[in-house]
Amino acid sequence: MAVLVLAEHDGKQLKPGVTNLLTAAAKLGDVTVLVAGTQASEAAQAAAKVAGVKKVLLTEAPIYEGSAAENLAALVLTIAEQYSHILGPASAYGKNVLPRVAASLDVQQISEISAVESADTFVRPTYAGNAMATVQSSDRIKVITVRATAFDPAGEQAAAPVENLAPGPDLGLTQFKGAELSKSERPELTAARIIVSGGRGMGSAENFKLIEALADKLGAAVGASRAAVDSGFMPNEYQVGQTGKIVAPELYIAIGISGAIQHLAGMKDSKVIVAINKDAEAPIFSVASYWLVDDLFKAVPELTQELSA
Amino acid sequence: MSIYNAPLKDMHFALHEIAGLDEVLALPGFEEITAELVDAVLAEAGRFAREVLDPLNRSGDTTGAKLDNGVVTAPAGYREAYAKFIEAGWNGLGADPRYGGQGLPHTVAMAVQEIWNSANMSFCLAPMLTSGVLEALRHHASPEQLEVFVPKLTAGEWSGTMNLTEPQAGSDLSAVRTQAVPQGGHYLLRGTKIFITWGEHDMSENIVHLVLARTPDAPEGVKGISLFIVPKFVPNADGSVGERNDVKCVSIERKMGIHASPTCVLSYGEGKGAIGYLVGEENRGLEYMFTMMNHARLGVGIEGIGLAERAYQHALDYARTRVQGREIGQRSGDRVTIIHHPDVKRMLLSMKAQVEAMRALAYTAGAALDKARRHPDPVEKRRSQALVDLLTPIVKGWCTEQGVEVASTGMQVHGGMGFVEETGAAQYLRDARITTIYEGTTGIQANDLVGRKVAFEKGATAMTLIEEMRALDAPLAALGADFNAARSNFTAAIDSLEAATLWVVDTSPVAPNAVAAVAVPYLKLFGAVAGGWVMARSAIVARAQCEDPQSDREFLTAKMATARFYAEHILPQARAHADTVITGSSSVLALDEAQF
Amino acid sequence: MKVLVTVKRVIDPYVKVRVKSDGSGVETANIKMTMNPFCEIAVEQAVRMKEAGVVTEIVVVSVGAMQSQETLRTAMAMGADRGILVDAGVDIEPLAVAKLLKAIIQKENPQLVITGKQAIDDDSNQTGQMISALMGWPQATFISNITVNGDTADVTREIDGGLEKLTIKLPAVVTSDLRLNEPRYVTLPNIMKAKKKPMEVIKPDALGVDVTPRLKTLKVQEPPSRSAGVKVADVKELVAKLRNEARVI
Repeated sequence: MAVLVLAEHDGKQLKPGVTNLLTAAAKLGDVTVLVAGTQASEAAQAAAKVAGVKKVLLTEAPIYEGSAAENLAALVLTIAEQYSHILGPASAYGKNVLPRVAASLDVQQISEISAVESADTFVRPTYAGNAMATVQSSDRIKVITVRATAFDPAGEQAAAPVENLAPGPDLGLTQFKGAELSKSERPELTAARIIVSGGRGMGSAENFKLIEALADKLGAAVGASRAAVDSGFMPNEYQVGQTGKIVAPELYIAIGISGAIQHLAGMKDSKVIVAINKDAEAPIFSVASYWLVDDLFKAVPELTQELSA
Repeated sequence: MSIYNAPLKDMHFALHEIAGLDEVLALPGFEEITAELVDAVLAEAGRFAREVLDPLNRSGDTTGAKLDNGVVTAPAGYREAYAKFIEAGWNGLGADPRYGGQGLPHTVAMAVQEIWNSANMSFCLAPMLTSGVLEALRHHASPEQLEVFVPKLTAGEWSGTMNLTEPQAGSDLSAVRTQAVPQGGHYLLRGTKIFITWGEHDMSENIVHLVLARTPDAPEGVKGISLFIVPKFVPNADGSVGERNDVKCVSIERKMGIHASPTCVLSYGEGKGAIGYLVGEENRGLEYMFTMMNHARLGVGIEGIGLAERAYQHALDYARTRVQGREIGQRSGDRVTIIHHPDVKRMLLSMKAQVEAMRALAYTAGAALDKARRHPDPVEKRRSQALVDLLTPIVKGWCTEQGVEVASTGMQVHGGMGFVEETGAAQYLRDARITTIYEGTTGIQANDLVGRKVAFEKGATAMTLIEEMRALDAPLAALGADFNAARSNFTAAIDSLEAATLWVVDTSPVAPNAVAAVAVPYLKLFGAVAGGWVMARSAIVARAQCEDPQSDREFLTAKMATARFYAEHILPQARAHADTVITGSSSVLALDEAQF
Repeated sequence: MKVLVTVKRVIDPYVKVRVKSDGSGVETANIKMTMNPFCEIAVEQAVRMKEAGVVTEIVVVSVGAMQSQETLRTAMAMGADRGILVDAGVDIEPLAVAKLLKAIIQKENPQLVITGKQAIDDDSNQTGQMISALMGWPQATFISNITVNGDTADVTREIDGGLEKLTIKLPAVVTSDLRLNEPRYVTLPNIMKAKKKPMEVIKPDALGVDVTPRLKTLKVQEPPSRSAGVKVADVKELVAKLRNEARVI
């Protein structure tokens, strides 16, 4: 089996999660990684050193500036027929490009897989992770996005060969006008290793400073429950939940969050969940790895303090 | 905290299968209203309630409305929620289309009101009072008054209040003292009104007070009371708000519940006198208030149902998540959520059964009100009027009393956690407690029932209804052995109601005091049996619908089991109430004042 | 210009999803359904563009069971002008949906197609991208802003770690993200008006599209439940557990 992986990178490095994706790919066959961008050679060198990678294809051209879904898909299509599987990350990058590839190949993409059962059978979460579907594809080429948090990162190896691949056509459909990457010192919600979230129990927007102080101490991202967003404590972009962001960090700290179903749907795949709530009956405790029944206005500053010690 | 979800399936069932919504929609004036439309309206109302009103219920209870120097501020978020509410057009749901209303049937408006009340009773008192004012003005206001006040009230840009009570005039309005002196084309009012719900607030641009007052040469007692419109801001000729009228809020009550809703003491005419406009003719104010009474009293009954439903959902959510103990008879193994315990199931089912019975009965009364207003056949119109007249004190009195009981059971499901405010169960009980009191206490409803509604017409409507109930015996028998106990309990309950009704009819002319002494037990008896009637019909319909392979069997079989529960656990109370009615009046009257 | 918006009927996000005991899927019979939240945002955007005078007509399309007409009515109550239902049943895959929509788009000739970024039932996040691929049009997924300037549009996309700005040629497909707007509550008068707006029902055959599934669902299961957690007495114990037992800090 020949597997093509579309690698997400920032020019110099592979994005976090790509090595996890390569673990999934290696289960399916010999892995070729495609690294495409305006400048991508350093990232291609990095990809060559990930365990299991047999070959890296490097394509550099100005037409791949920004997300460039149309041109990237067109590039993948120039070589797609050589592969049995085409994989990408289930990130904004991969979700943007791969369905386009799949439709052009007339195949049904399999989104956001969390396990590989066999060459044609995969497990994927649906209903915000409340139902795990095992699906079998009858398509000749399997186009797949991979949920990085479901796979371990691949290790290192001696560098595999890097070959140049000629750019594909320039479709000229979109023009890249620039990107504004978040200036926040804090990591982004969906990529964070640790998330500290506050709920309606925070009582006010002002009180979210307690959450932020704790997050900064942990190098964590800040999240909020739908109830906190509805109460106007935090903007919608911080919302974790079924209609907000779906997250699965290593550590999720829920503070003053009661644990409505739709919030649980957004965070219950986190590896370790800590809940702090003064209500001993809060449903959030049913998913917590560790829970503390206490007044958050006392416990959170104490926790921040304790972590400094 | 649980999340409120409007019980759309049960509402649909009660509206269509029990209240007979199809007949209502066939009435003249409802040509544009379809069953699908009603479903869409209820679904959107449910969503608005869930997302906008319910989340403010708790915070509004905690902070309450605030009075500062005559200015009342609604709790945080209420002003914005009210703006969204009127922008979405909900205020004019049942109002006259000629003035911007949507003209939906009362039956549908009641279902929507139930949704608002479940989500946030304090909030929805404001639009409910506005709709009461609209109802009064619709019947009795002059064309000029209609033009000035009704469109703004319909849109909700202005809200309405009812000013009846004074410190010395509570249930007895003949003692009203507020004075209204003619002055040019209007009147100047002076006096103090108490218990004015949403009497002053910052949610709407203007507030239109309907005020009972006496003109200088009015006769004593109830025949000398007139009805006035007193706006907070006197409208200009172009309809915009003008000068501040001489009415102010001097205090707001500290209450057991409905904290978010300010209950105001309003002082009229501390300065030059509050400008008021006479509605209709002088001295007919009380009569005008009575024309909207069925409407208002059914509305309060709906409050009881809304709170009971919300308390049920809250308790159910808790019972599904709270882990405590093992299944009875199991010494080891996993601990279970408390819904596995039979007594918790019993409590939840008693809540569910009562809510569903109350809902079906109230919607039936709503449908009768629509038919009484609009039915083209005069016989059917009269029959419907008699039915709604009979059912109104029952829906008001019984549904609010049961609402309190259901909310109390909801607290019980929570155990000790329910007595603690954090779980939110207590608020529903505290909020429910006013509903048996205002708009006529249960005692007043019961007196209305035994006097004007039963004895006055020698039990005619009641006996007709009893005959209808008896006609269910054959279809109940067809439900099979499972329903044997339910069926015989139902028959016994009808017998009890009939015996008590005959006693009321026979005793009223000779000993009205004795009847009044047991009027409340009679009202509870009637409520319980009427609830049994709609639940029996529900079971019969549900069984028939189960035959359809596409039907929602989970819902329908639950409906049948709930109906059985009602007949087995609640209907047996009928016999006890009837015994009290027939034998219990003399002991009530046995003590004289000094012996208490 | 004409805009085409797609909407999907899904299980209400407040309903707890139950997996069928035979593992064939999730319970959907007699469950409360609603419009997919991202589709609501898509409809809202079209309505705002119409209110701003940029859009002249909004056609809303759903592919699904007959009950999806309710969802189309909701979209029309929000402000869409007319509805088209492709009566294709419930278990239809994104590729087939995209092909059916392509056929509709070729009939309707909209300048802009707005879809939700994903449906909260199957969480595929594919349909918008697939439509644009099949049409050979530009795409802008996960948008949080859009401004139309004649025959192009400036869009802002939500990407991991920030925002990206693109100029796309029209006609194009865009997919809505959460921050694009906050959908309005439909008003009661508009619910009443919506029932008079035109609705067309089309069968997939009439569009000449083969909708045979490519994926076979072998089983659907509940996710593994989390093992029981530990109650800690105080902050000190919590930090100790996180450091020594869970080793996450």
